[in-house]
Amino acid sequence: MIYLDHAAATPLTSRTLEAMTPYFRERFFNPSAPYLPAKRVREAYEAAKTDLARIIGAKGVDMIMTSGATESIQLAFTAARGKVLVAATEHAAVLEAARSRKHDLIAVDANGVIDLDDLHQKISDEVELISISLANNELGTIQPLSEVAELIREIREDRRARGVKSPLFLHSDASQAMSLIDINVSRLGVDLLTINAAKVGGPKGVGALYVGRGIELKPLQRGGGQERGLRGGTENVPGVIGFTVAAQEVKSHLNSNRKKYQEMASILKRELAHTLIISQMGEKVKILGDSRRQLANFVPICFTGVDAERLIYKLEQQEIYLSTGAACAANKGTKSHVLAAIGLGDEEIMGSLRISLGSTNTAEQMPIVAGALARAVAEELHRTHKIKEAHE
Amino acid sequence: MSRRVFLGMSGGVDSSVSALLLKEQGYDVTGIYMKNWSEDLPGMKCPWAEDLADAKRVAVGLDLDFEVWDFEQDYKDAVVDYMLSEFRTGRTPNPDVVCNELIKFKLFYERALAHGADSIATGHYARTGRSTGGEPELLRAVDENKDQTYFLYRMSDESLAKTIFPLGEFKKPEVKALARERGLDVAGKKESMGVCFVGEVGMKEFLSRYIETKPGEIREQESNAVLGHHDGAIFYTLGQRHGMYLGGGLPYYVVGKDLERNIVYVSKNLNHPGLWANELELTDLHWRAGFNAEKVANSTNLMVRLRHRASLIPVTVMRDSRPIDESQGLGSLDGSRDFGSRSGSVRLRFAEPIRRPAPGQSAVLYGDLVCLGGGICN
Repeated sequence: MIYLDHAAATPLTSRTLEAMTPYFRERFFNPSAPYLPAKRVREAYEAAKTDLARIIGAKGVDMIMTSGATESIQLAFTAARGKVLVAATEHAAVLEAARSRKHDLIAVDANGVIDLDDLHQKISDEVELISISLANNELGTIQPLSEVAELIREIREDRRARGVKSPLFLHSDASQAMSLIDINVSRLGVDLLTINAAKVGGPKGVGALYVGRGIELKPLQRGGGQERGLRGGTENVPGVIGFTVAAQEVKSHLNSNRKKYQEMASILKRELAHTLIISQMGEKVKILGDSRRQLANFVPICFTGVDAERLIYKLEQQEIYLSTGAACAANKGTKSHVLAAIGLGDEEIMGSLRISLGSTNTAEQMPIVAGALARAVAEELHRTHKIKEAHE
Repeated sequence: MSRRVFLGMSGGVDSSVSALLLKEQGYDVTGIYMKNWSEDLPGMKCPWAEDLADAKRVAVGLDLDFEVWDFEQDYKDAVVDYMLSEFRTGRTPNPDVVCNELIKFKLFYERALAHGADSIATGHYARTGRSTGGEPELLRAVDENKDQTYFLYRMSDESLAKTIFPLGEFKKPEVKALARERGLDVAGKKESMGVCFVGEVGMKEFLSRYIETKPGEIREQESNAVLGHHDGAIFYTLGQRHGMYLGGGLPYYVVGKDLERNIVYVSKNLNHPGLWANELELTDLHWRAGFNAEKVANSTNLMVRLRHRASLIPVTVMRDSRPIDESQGLGSLDGSRDFGSRSGSVRLRFAEPIRRPAPGQSAVLYGDLVCLGGGICN
């Protein structure tokens, strides 16, 4: 198997699984129970939260543990009563949270980078929350968050000077970025930050929201007062411990992983270009995004005039697994709003694949992938050519 | 050059194996996923996106061309609206019959031919043949348990002449085994039951979104005593047994409905005349090529099927000279209710009383293997 969809899901690392296992069995206690073994579980849980917070330059008390990025995002949006601004290329979880209230979209350029002028223009006094992902989940585009934070500081200052009372918060969904970017909430200048265990070698169904001091949120689910009363329900102790261990592992390998993926990506691109040029299909292929402003493990490719879904089914027969953009979008049969936002036409969107490298990949796999892809593309072009001929 | 076939692919095991068989028989096959009506309603999940992916995966695996054809609006006009209007008048329609007549074997057929198809194909369990007079015949499938001619009796003769049913000679277990043998991913897929667009929540919730209903009384027919209340008479089908929790003892059966007064009549008496019939009136008749009411009435050894998968019952057909009831009729594509194949009514007579089918259901006539046509029970 060659797995090229690490942006969708990552396998649990062995260390993570080992760290989690005791909390399903011998240390199964409810951390809120009154006896000593339960207290030990509480301590382990709080320690894991503190360690997780430290990874992003925060404190344990600033973290609300959730069931994943989608919940973290919904919770973050409760900070705003007024209008929200989100990048046009945001994940559906952000877009849907925005759609339920007054909102506007921030335009992006051809590489998916937000247009700072457009953002500036749209921050009217009624805007209370801006949500921009640290890195996009289809293109891997890294957004200039620090510049956004700087802009927001200026606007806050201006609002204070004019006596405008409405707050202005910056939220960022860093789920996709965490495995490759060293995240520090103060350096980024964010007020709210979403992270997700499933994208960093941790378990699915575990996420966290970093909440800056003095920001008032409304709980989405009430209960026994857990997570500072902002998220009722017995704590997911094994999940949170798994998240922390996986995040620590990822953090300690950030630089080596980045280099590794860069190398793999360049082999893949080179081999693919080479094969396609030899078979005179060079003009059909386009790598999307700007690799200087992209997560190193992302290789979004567009084969104009080819049905990318057919490529997926063809490659799956050779146990090579990749996808078209976000899984949710693919399942609904709708075309990618991200690729539309960067100005791709329907034919290009239809022909686009997302390759996202990760821990399961090796450099040796890359020529195999390039070869299989080039063959599948050639077969498809041949097939569609035959249909055209039959019609003429 | 091989013959071009456009195959309707639903993502299920039947149409997937059909694709396999056609390909092996040397046809130039194009798979078509027909997108029918599916409204996003809360809690209602029409699994069409997954079905589409399954269909496409099979098509690509067999290296077939594959397209999605959108029939949503047509389906809504012809099938959903017909179904709702029938329920509104207290009847129990069969949307699959209309879908086959007006969508699959009309619009899909016409569009396939316009795209250069020599034939169309579907994964229905049915067979085709030619009569001695050269007319296209619709024949029951080899698998008696799966035979789907009950749903196909209204398809046009023109489309039948150009239709291939690759599964007609197969039994369902053989089809499943073939799918497994060839590693088709859909081999283990749960069979879709009922009407797709209604989704998993069921007909009642679907209907209640479109038809305004009021609670009313449930009365015992014999005593006229009020036994309980219902939340809409249209939800009850004649002969229905479940759905009424009127205490213990013997079950009750729906034996009548008074839509005007919004009363559902029930009885414990399984011999109640409302549940049984010696005769049935059929309207909205559709005869297959070479048959008409007169010819069928003069035939012997006729059999009728009153429900999908129900056993065949010997029957005598009598012509009915009463005028056509204009208020009845199946749906149509352009919203008008008049279409070609309707011609009067006939009466079915049975040697022994039969459980009465609900008004709106189809009765389909056979002479041995050959489907002669049928109509809608009144």
